[in-house]
Amino acid sequence: MNQTCVKLDTGGTMSQYYLFQDTKKCIGCHTCEVVCKANKKLPPGPKLCQIIQVGPKTVGEVPRTSFIYMSCFHCENPWCVSACPTGAMQQRSKDGIVFVDQDLCVGCKTCISACPWGAPQWNQEIGKVEKCDFCMDRIDQGLAPACVTSCTTGCLKFGTVEEMTQIRRERHAASVTSFENTSF
Amino acid sequence: MDKICPVRQTILFLTQLIGPQGLPDPKGRRICEQILVLAEEIAEGTAGEAHLPAIEALVKECNDAGTPEQTRQAGRIIQGLLTDHREVFVNHIQTRNCPTHDCGKLAPSPCQMACPAGIDIPTYLALIAQGKDAEAIEVIRRDNPLPWVCGLICTRPCEMMCVRARIDKAISIKFLKAFAAERAMSERAYTNPTPQPANGKKVCVVGAGPGGLSCAYYLALMGYGVRIIEALPVPGGMLMVGIPRYRLPGEVINREVAMIEDLGVDIRYNTRFGKDVTKDELDREGFEAYCIAIGAHKAWTLSIEGEKEFPKVIEAVRFLRDVALGDHHCPGKNVVVVGGGNVAIDAARTSLRLGAERVTIAYRRTRAQMPADVEEVEQAAEAGIEFSFLTIPTAIKGEGHNIHALACIKAELKAKKGANRLAPVPIEGGEFDIRADVVISAIGQYVDNEGMEAFTGIDWSRRGTIDVNHAGMETAQPGVFAAGDAVSGPATVIEAIGGGKRAADAIDRYLRGIPQPRAPRTPVRHKTEPVIEMTAHEKMTIKPPEMPMLNLYRRRTTFQQVELGYEEADVRREAARCLRCDICRRCGKCVDICRDKMGINALKLGYLDFDESGPTDFRVTAESCITCGACAANCENNALKIDEKDGRRRLLLCGTILNSQTIQYCESCGAKLGSEAYIRFIAGKTRSMTQATETRLLCNNCLRRKAAVSNAANSGALPMR
Repeated sequence: MNQTCVKLDTGGTMSQYYLFQDTKKCIGCHTCEVVCKANKKLPPGPKLCQIIQVGPKTVGEVPRTSFIYMSCFHCENPWCVSACPTGAMQQRSKDGIVFVDQDLCVGCKTCISACPWGAPQWNQEIGKVEKCDFCMDRIDQGLAPACVTSCTTGCLKFGTVEEMTQIRRERHAASVTSFENTSF
Repeated sequence: MDKICPVRQTILFLTQLIGPQGLPDPKGRRICEQILVLAEEIAEGTAGEAHLPAIEALVKECNDAGTPEQTRQAGRIIQGLLTDHREVFVNHIQTRNCPTHDCGKLAPSPCQMACPAGIDIPTYLALIAQGKDAEAIEVIRRDNPLPWVCGLICTRPCEMMCVRARIDKAISIKFLKAFAAERAMSERAYTNPTPQPANGKKVCVVGAGPGGLSCAYYLALMGYGVRIIEALPVPGGMLMVGIPRYRLPGEVINREVAMIEDLGVDIRYNTRFGKDVTKDELDREGFEAYCIAIGAHKAWTLSIEGEKEFPKVIEAVRFLRDVALGDHHCPGKNVVVVGGGNVAIDAARTSLRLGAERVTIAYRRTRAQMPADVEEVEQAAEAGIEFSFLTIPTAIKGEGHNIHALACIKAELKAKKGANRLAPVPIEGGEFDIRADVVISAIGQYVDNEGMEAFTGIDWSRRGTIDVNHAGMETAQPGVFAAGDAVSGPATVIEAIGGGKRAADAIDRYLRGIPQPRAPRTPVRHKTEPVIEMTAHEKMTIKPPEMPMLNLYRRRTTFQQVELGYEEADVRREAARCLRCDICRRCGKCVDICRDKMGINALKLGYLDFDESGPTDFRVTAESCITCGACAANCENNALKIDEKDGRRRLLLCGTILNSQTIQYCESCGAKLGSEAYIRFIAGKTRSMTQATETRLLCNNCLRRKAAVSNAANSGALPMR
């Protein structure tokens, strides 16, 4: 079982949500990207979530490619929030979602340069920063983020930490016993 | 804000209609979205003639059968805005200018709005700075057919409003115009635009002064046959017979009038309207409209004892006229001029040049209250003219035909009820005499209405001027228009030119049966010239040139032009000193963002504030600016720009390079990143954070890819690192 768990690097809990991608299932159709942009009405340029093709690499004489879902990790101590001089980049206190208040954004792009994962994106048309906010308007209505809802293979999964604990345990057990130890 | 520009108001209303609380029906929303696009183009100055009809057609769709009442109502409100403020919409489209500043991109420059003729000043200054004198003259002549004349003698209300004066000194707008006109004329590049084909209609203009010439010029361009009736043997009106030659050489007037005659304007000299030619005769000849631009040539009398008895009591306007027409006899040894306006100064300086030994200007208030231009007063004092302030003339004393003295009384200034000007009040026992053998009275002029009896329908004001509707300069009599001093009383050349232009437009409307405008047209912004690039140091330190003057000896003895003009290099530099207020509307958002939002405070642009201008220095920006571009991203008018040139990221304000820093590049893909100062600024902000493992300088795309690759490698065996 292979999957990417959104935000692996900072350790500890970040937002109270998790967004998992099962890279084994992902076919790289980019539907998540398209739906994300349509949902946020974004012009050409910014990609709040992005499927990045890694490979192909030859694994056991078979060329294999994996598609990695990248968006924002919603870190516990976000670089972008620290870097933002205007207070536009914020962390929502109730669930830790990192989002940008565009009314406060002046377009200095410091968050873009500060983020080690390239999560904040530039919207040339309005001269402000755009960023994945887990579709918090949808979450507040009890819906899943747009990308997750539209994923054609169901490789994206979204939930609270509590809901994800069980899945994570099962997946971890499965991956430990897996014959494959890479995603290729 | 209670009075908002109707175009902006329409845009706000439409934005509401297509917002989350807006119209529920999709068709209504679609229509509103389409109207919004068109309305925004109007507010940006990119709209054409078809925009208003297109909007109206869309509004009609709101009333199609089956549309819900809410949409119909919205349609009615939009139609109401269009109907009530049609002229404002048309003005936005035609003039690309929004006088209320609400439509940011169309906010006018203060100099252009201050000009009574509405000349697009920043545009022609930019052209002059580039050495394109003929193009500059073409831009000026769209609003003023006499750029050379105005370049020498305009009272320059534009310079009063010049924003650059808040930093150091106003741009010498006036003289730059004269330079361009002289250069273009001498290079034979000063040309007339191609007029419309003749339409067979004839218009008569009474008076060949600046108002009449301006009216005739624009009518001729529109294809009308124009005849000017002029009582004097020379063109120019007060330009020729009021303003002395040392300020305005006759050749300048003659050359510019010749350009107007070249368009087919027929000037009949030595012809007094009402005496040598009558309205009936002209009517019979087929003249369908008249423009009265007879000026104000009659002098007020002093009304003091002795005024009528002595032949050497001369009216200044008559004196100046006689001198202009060739009578160069010295009026007398001791000349006293009564009055404090430009005419008084002109009469005094002229007397000096004709050989008067002692010239005194007697004025009843003080130097500070003199209506004359400050420079004129200074030049007069330099030439040795004496001033007697707080002096009220009471009588002219003499024997036989000879004057001995002007009897005066000293005055003091006192506030008077109901008057906003301090009034001179005689001091008891303050009588004194000024030695004089000539007294020239220059206390003001009024309109000589002799010969105007044929215009039975026009109204005259209490001040003896012609009453008009200032939007179109129409008098109460249909087909009769008026402009210049005849309307305003003694005023400025540029006001007369603006009035003449408006009258020409109104006459055209009258003869084509189009209703007259209700409000004067906003000045037209012809185009936006590209900015001129220069360093902050240069922009700050260009010094306005000093005007070289004719030496004092010649100024006392000859009528040679006093102001000798700038060198070409000075002219180009001076024009480039312009801050380009046609682009930057001085909203101050950039300063607020840099100081309050970014906490950097690199912009020192005190001149942006009209009421309380602070210090300005373009050079200090480079010390602390990190070229983040937040100011540029929020500049609605693209006055502030971030660009990249020769490996450097630069911040420019209307062409002034405020900062320039070396660009850093992504070490993986070579994409452009921020400058070192910018990266340092961010590092300062994130100092307390865990050190990111990456030490290479990478762009956000490469960072994302790198994270993806590391995830792909890890995810199988170790989902959590």
